[in-house]
Amino acid sequence: MSSVAKSDRAVPEITVRPEFVVDDIGEAAIGDVARPLSLAERIWDINAVRKGAILLGLVVLWQAYTVLFDVEPLMFPTFTSSAEALWNALVHGDLLSKIWFSVKVLAYGYSAGLAIAAVLVLWATASRIGSDFLATVTAMFNPLPAIALLPLAMLWFGLGTASLVFVLIHSVLWAVALSTHQGFMAVSEPLRMIGRNYGLTGIRYVIKILIPAAFPSILTGMKIGWAFAWRTLIGAELVFGASSGSGGLGWFIFEGSQNLETADVFAGLFTVIVIGLVVENVIFRNVEMRTIVRWGMSR
Amino acid sequence: MPDGGAQLYIRPEYEASAIGAADHGDVARTLSLFERIRNINAIRKLSILVGLVVLWELYTRLGDISELILPPFSATGAALLQALWDENLIVMIGNSISVLLMGYVIGIVIATVLTTLAVTSRFGSDLLGTLTAMLNPLPAIALLPMALLWFGLGADAIVFTLLHSVVWPVALNTHTGFLGVSDTQRMVGKNYGLRGLSYVAKILIPAAFPSILTGLRIGWAYAWRTLIAAELVFGGSIADTQGTSSGGLGWFIFANQMDLQIPHVFAGLFSVIVVGVLVENVVFRKIEEHTVARWGMQIQ
Repeated sequence: MSSVAKSDRAVPEITVRPEFVVDDIGEAAIGDVARPLSLAERIWDINAVRKGAILLGLVVLWQAYTVLFDVEPLMFPTFTSSAEALWNALVHGDLLSKIWFSVKVLAYGYSAGLAIAAVLVLWATASRIGSDFLATVTAMFNPLPAIALLPLAMLWFGLGTASLVFVLIHSVLWAVALSTHQGFMAVSEPLRMIGRNYGLTGIRYVIKILIPAAFPSILTGMKIGWAFAWRTLIGAELVFGASSGSGGLGWFIFEGSQNLETADVFAGLFTVIVIGLVVENVIFRNVEMRTIVRWGMSR
Repeated sequence: MPDGGAQLYIRPEYEASAIGAADHGDVARTLSLFERIRNINAIRKLSILVGLVVLWELYTRLGDISELILPPFSATGAALLQALWDENLIVMIGNSISVLLMGYVIGIVIATVLTTLAVTSRFGSDLLGTLTAMLNPLPAIALLPMALLWFGLGADAIVFTLLHSVVWPVALNTHTGFLGVSDTQRMVGKNYGLRGLSYVAKILIPAAFPSILTGLRIGWAYAWRTLIAAELVFGGSIADTQGTSSGGLGWFIFANQMDLQIPHVFAGLFSVIVVGVLVENVVFRKIEEHTVARWGMQIQ
């Protein structure tokens, strides 16, 4: 049947274009193909130098804008006065103890959140009802901003660190549990079989097979959890940090803006940025280098 | 063993005479009706949800918990209905969403400009790299006090903080996505003579869409959290200056907590969850289905 149809089909015409010779290919001069770069070019090729220059340029712009236009220091303090405020707060003020307070609360909440997430995910991998439970609860609570629970937390746990920790747990738990569980589900069958061949069951199976195999997504979850927790903590301290005794970094910023010490606000923002950079580019980067990069799971 | 070859161990052979009760039981049988019902995903999840609600109701009723600490589910449901009908909760949700959308859209536009600059020049790429590295770890909410100073009490200040929470994750993910576009696809684009904006729109954006979508999702999550936090903190002052109905969802929660209307607080939390679930599982799901999944870039 198909051969009949094939023979019926018209043979496509073959178009033969006339040949031609191009005499003039224009200015085909290439210029220098290879030459040693000048010193300036080589320096400019260093990434850190370029980024440093941009940073410097931004700072100069900021300073020039505030000084030349005589901007009210209340609205936008100069760079130098912000740096001075930072120095004063660090050396003479209590910024260091405030940083320590924030980091301590964050560490409590983060580790408690991780522990609860571990228990939930273990239950979810062990049984179907656990898996259904985790899926339902995360679908419900993951889209709920943790900070929205703060009013309730303050009602339940009083004004203080306990309610901050509760809110932080909520912000870490669902993100970590969700991506860990997804990572566990995606562990390939051969790896699972190897584990079973070695006779691994229960908790040892999870620790030796599932966790290493799913580590990239566990790490992603931990990073998202950290980002949410950090944002929640600063937000929570901005709102209610005052009540919990010494107060943290968010409270420092809020205090600065209430007292119209805008340079202090900028100093606080600097500190927040620095802590964020350290956690993301030093701590998480190092964990990554030692685990998934070394294991060849990521570049 | 440094000094010699490996030794060969030969284990003695043995024969297992009994292999135990190798009884398989039923290998295949038709499932009972009950088992088949249990196998439906939605039913299992729904029953968990119902179970949680029943537990909640029972705990509050039997434990005689004060309504100020944890109101029963029924009271919360009633409060939600009442707030929807009589206390223009819907208007407040609308307020929140319109502010959110404004910030989100402007944020995406700025992110687009920044990343377009970054793909076209090395200076742009360096600028974007420096700015995102510096500003991405800064929680947007920390900028709110400054924003209030600059823009005054009002929606402007909130839109500014939302901008900040959206621009950096979106720009960062879009840029890494652009950098990861394979050379083959770039060459196809250049072969077609695409350059400038049409090159970005027709080659880079579709090829990098999975990571752009990730960026949009993260941006949405940050923006939503920032908005609720901002309204919780300063929504009150904004609502005071512009009339009470102009506050958003966060303000609804905060005001009711201040009045100790705890069932209403729970109703507010419900609405936050519902909006979040809708955006994540309906809006983004649909975008994903129509783009990334349809183009076969993501295994479902």
